[in-house]
Amino acid sequence: MDLSLIIVIVCAVLAVALIVVFIVFGRSEAAFTMDIGGASPRASGGSDSSTEKTLSSRLVGFAVAVGGIFSVLVARLWTMQLVSTDEYSEQAESNRTSTVYTQAPRGRILDRHGNEIVTNRSSFVVTAISDVLDDEVEVTLLANLIGMPPQAVRRKLQDTTQGYQSLRTVSVDVSRRVVAYIGEHPEVFPGVSVETRAQRSYPHGSLAAHVVGYTGTVTQEQLEESENAEDGQIIYRSGDIVGQTGVEKRYESVLQGVRGEQVVYVDAHGNVTGRQSSGFEPQSGSDLVLTLDIDVQRAAEESLEKVIKQQRDIGKAAVGASVVALDCTNGEVIAMASYPTFTPSSFVGGISTADWDALQDEDAHYPMLNRAIAGQYPSGSIIKPLTTLAALDYGIINADSSWNCSGWWSWSGRSDDPDGMGCWSTHGGVDIVSGITFSCDVMFYEIGKGFYNQNSEGMQETFRRYGLGSATGIDLPGEEVGRVPDAAWKWEYFKNLGYSDEDATWQGGENCNLAIGQGDLLVTCIQMACAYCSLANEGPVYRPHVMRGVRSRVGDGFVTEYKTEQIRDVEEDQSFRDLVARGMWGVVYEEDPLQTVHWTNLDVTVRGKTGTGEQISVDRAIGWFGAYGPAGDGETPRYVVVANMDGVNAGGSSSLLVVRDVFGAIYGQPDTATGVATNID
Amino acid sequence: MAQEITGPGTAKGPFSALAQRIAGASPSHAGKGRRGPLEGIYLTQLIPTLLILILSVINMWSCSLAIDTVSFTNHLAGMALGIGAAIVVWRYDCRNLSNLTTALFVFACVLMVLPLVPGLGVEGGLGGLGWVRIGPLRFQPSEPGKLVVIALMATAGAQYNGKIETFRDYARLCGTLLVPLILIMVTDLGTGLMIFFTGATIIICSGAPRGWILATIALIVGAAALVVITSQIDGIPHILQDYQLSRLTVFLDPDGTASEDGYNLQQAMIAIGSGGFLGKGFGNASQALSGFLPEAETDFIFATFAEQFGFLGSIVLLALYAWMIIATIVLAMKVESPFSKLLLVGCAALWTFQVLESVGMCIGIMPITGIPLPFMTYGSSSMVTQLAAVGVVQSVWHHRQKVA
Repeated sequence: MDLSLIIVIVCAVLAVALIVVFIVFGRSEAAFTMDIGGASPRASGGSDSSTEKTLSSRLVGFAVAVGGIFSVLVARLWTMQLVSTDEYSEQAESNRTSTVYTQAPRGRILDRHGNEIVTNRSSFVVTAISDVLDDEVEVTLLANLIGMPPQAVRRKLQDTTQGYQSLRTVSVDVSRRVVAYIGEHPEVFPGVSVETRAQRSYPHGSLAAHVVGYTGTVTQEQLEESENAEDGQIIYRSGDIVGQTGVEKRYESVLQGVRGEQVVYVDAHGNVTGRQSSGFEPQSGSDLVLTLDIDVQRAAEESLEKVIKQQRDIGKAAVGASVVALDCTNGEVIAMASYPTFTPSSFVGGISTADWDALQDEDAHYPMLNRAIAGQYPSGSIIKPLTTLAALDYGIINADSSWNCSGWWSWSGRSDDPDGMGCWSTHGGVDIVSGITFSCDVMFYEIGKGFYNQNSEGMQETFRRYGLGSATGIDLPGEEVGRVPDAAWKWEYFKNLGYSDEDATWQGGENCNLAIGQGDLLVTCIQMACAYCSLANEGPVYRPHVMRGVRSRVGDGFVTEYKTEQIRDVEEDQSFRDLVARGMWGVVYEEDPLQTVHWTNLDVTVRGKTGTGEQISVDRAIGWFGAYGPAGDGETPRYVVVANMDGVNAGGSSSLLVVRDVFGAIYGQPDTATGVATNID
Repeated sequence: MAQEITGPGTAKGPFSALAQRIAGASPSHAGKGRRGPLEGIYLTQLIPTLLILILSVINMWSCSLAIDTVSFTNHLAGMALGIGAAIVVWRYDCRNLSNLTTALFVFACVLMVLPLVPGLGVEGGLGGLGWVRIGPLRFQPSEPGKLVVIALMATAGAQYNGKIETFRDYARLCGTLLVPLILIMVTDLGTGLMIFFTGATIIICSGAPRGWILATIALIVGAAALVVITSQIDGIPHILQDYQLSRLTVFLDPDGTASEDGYNLQQAMIAIGSGGFLGKGFGNASQALSGFLPEAETDFIFATFAEQFGFLGSIVLLALYAWMIIATIVLAMKVESPFSKLLLVGCAALWTFQVLESVGMCIGIMPITGIPLPFMTYGSSSMVTQLAAVGVVQSVWHHRQKVA
């Protein structure tokens, strides 16, 4: 710089000297004339007659043109350097600066007692620029070092899912030996670097996989969506890890931290030449506390697997199952499990195509589907308490109604009518209580018929009052709403499919089917759990939720807590409630000794209902059991547990066991009984 | 010829010219003038030239600190060579060339085709086009070619003594320009355009009737439009290559193109615009000297200068150019000999169009071509040529016919 100073000073001195020379000697030059035009008179009149005049006028014109040219240049410089200079300076600044981002660790996901379900671990990741692809030797060396086939390394280098410009992730979780070797031999591995990244870690494996969901690299749609988002939303960058399903997606804004930013100066080749003092450190996401109880959750999942295996052992398909345990006093989800399940850790660092295909495979029965909220099935007989209340409300039946079950029922009442429908057993004389307890279909066929004759939509209205056919609004993505079929729905649905008017008209038999939870009725496990909450609470239903609160950064307190929200309050005559509750007590303790034996070893009294729905299209039965407890006389119920299992012989021999295991985990009293009643609905 | 240019009060005519020629070669000349050693120097034009050279030195020093391929000593050597050439030209009476039309014509044509001669032409040298290697020397013959064409057009134009009477004469004059012009256009479109505008200015100042000039301009505009249009239509032969066409049109919409030229132009404009009023200071050109602006020491030298020294520096530089050019034109108005007049007009026109093109291209008002900014651009061919042109102006002054 000293030399520069000298040069500038010398130049300045020279310039001053030149100007002085000009001032001293130059002025007299202006006096020089060549007698242009001279003093002699010229001929007047002719415009181009004088060569001198022509030449000098053209020279003047030339001088004017020169002046014009310089004026244009100066004017343009004026607008660029004085008027628009800020705009250009901004562009120049953005040219020479670049922002380096540091990924913030995501918040942990904890159960209600603070046990980690999802946490983070640091991992060494080998990344490389795509140019490495061109160097065959380097690819081979890198593959040998990491212990991957060269073809696999090449595929990773070609992977552009994280953006064309971004570094390609070659391998995650590499050993320290690999890290050290790459660090010591940078000349062998140009373009290859090692990063430390916080990776999702799942200490309990697949526990609560459907609730917590998985994370993955931000997709193109998510990127575009975040760009259009309002202020205060997270703006994603290519390569960001974001929640894709479950709680990870639903509470993305809580879990996603704030990435660190550091503005650095770069040259045209992207080399960092310095850094700005401003910038901020990455801020990790907040810890999310769920309502799940890790022990109950584990018991629920193990029970599902156990019972599925039992069912498969006796030759049933048992393709899927789910269970939901709610705290009916506030809507907290104590456990939610779906079978088959998946391992969220297989998504860490990008899931392989083969793994992804396996998860989407029909033969694997869609492990990614959270059947508890998105599995829609006919409810079977567990709808019967609601049907009974509907019939009582609308006066279709009264407390003293009774029926005779011969195992066969027909609309006309004649026993030889070939268009009749069967009951699954022969119950003889039944009243309301025994009709529920023993799940007598004949009683409900009569109710269906009564509704068809007196108030064809009353049953559907009651079901809807209990929340069927609409979302519960649980704080998990992907909830399905099910379907409560009625005449209007059927007309529209079947007309769209091109059926005749006759075929699209609501039939009386469909009312009978609906009364026993068959036909076109579809419900989800969480919907039935909410409906049973209303039975347990004698009216109110609270919105089911898995989020308990966001933990504060210091201490064990919460910065935000889930606000309990009552979503409906179903009014029923107390005497009607008592009748139904008595019937549901009977289901547990009277219907069948092999069923009862599972509950007598539990200190807590529960009331429930079994159900077995026929899925005609896939030729599988869906077994249900829903129960609430403690439900002894004068007790206030606390828990509602509902389970279903797709492809079983009956609800009482499958889902009932799962519900029992969940109650067992809640109260610390495992089920010790073994036998099951295989022919009980 | 000498008789033709005599006018009232210049009775000495050829004798005086002869005397001057002898005096110019004689060391004793210095003492003879009215103002001692500076008598033979046209300070009004020389001072701004030297001031520009000083700015050039400072500018190139900052370039040499940041750009590896720039050698400051090369620049100074080129300048020294140029000053040497200028002194030689200054001592020589350019009027000697005034009847060498044929020789100049041949010389100009030879220079223009030199890069095409196998064994001499250099493929893809600096700037890409028109380089020649003779022994250890590498240069662009089109640079000195500019001066030869100026001299050629001045000799041709001066024959008519400021008034072209017949269309035949006018056509011959145009033809004289056309031949070297076409030859240079083959290798270097930009330089060709400079030579065209310079030559055209000389023809106009030779006294060609206004109507013919306007007709010629209309013809040229039409022909140019035809060339551009046919180059954009598939199926017929393209006179301009696609890259040439895009260079000519990119300045109209620099943001709308992803081409290299569009990028270069954007970076140049960012460099200049971000310079602001006072500039970023010596050596602080974050655009030009950090590699964002390509060709920062050659084609886009003005952007490099303007980023460092801002609006103020740019105004000073442009003012110096204007001063120098106007001083040349003023001298042209005063000298008597039509040949000298046209010679000066040629030099002034060359500087004007080079400044217009080189600066205008950086600020997005002219097409992108590799035209050097006189005295500023890195490269000795241009430096020597431009300084030789200064020598021409000084020579005209030195060998002027003085009032008795």
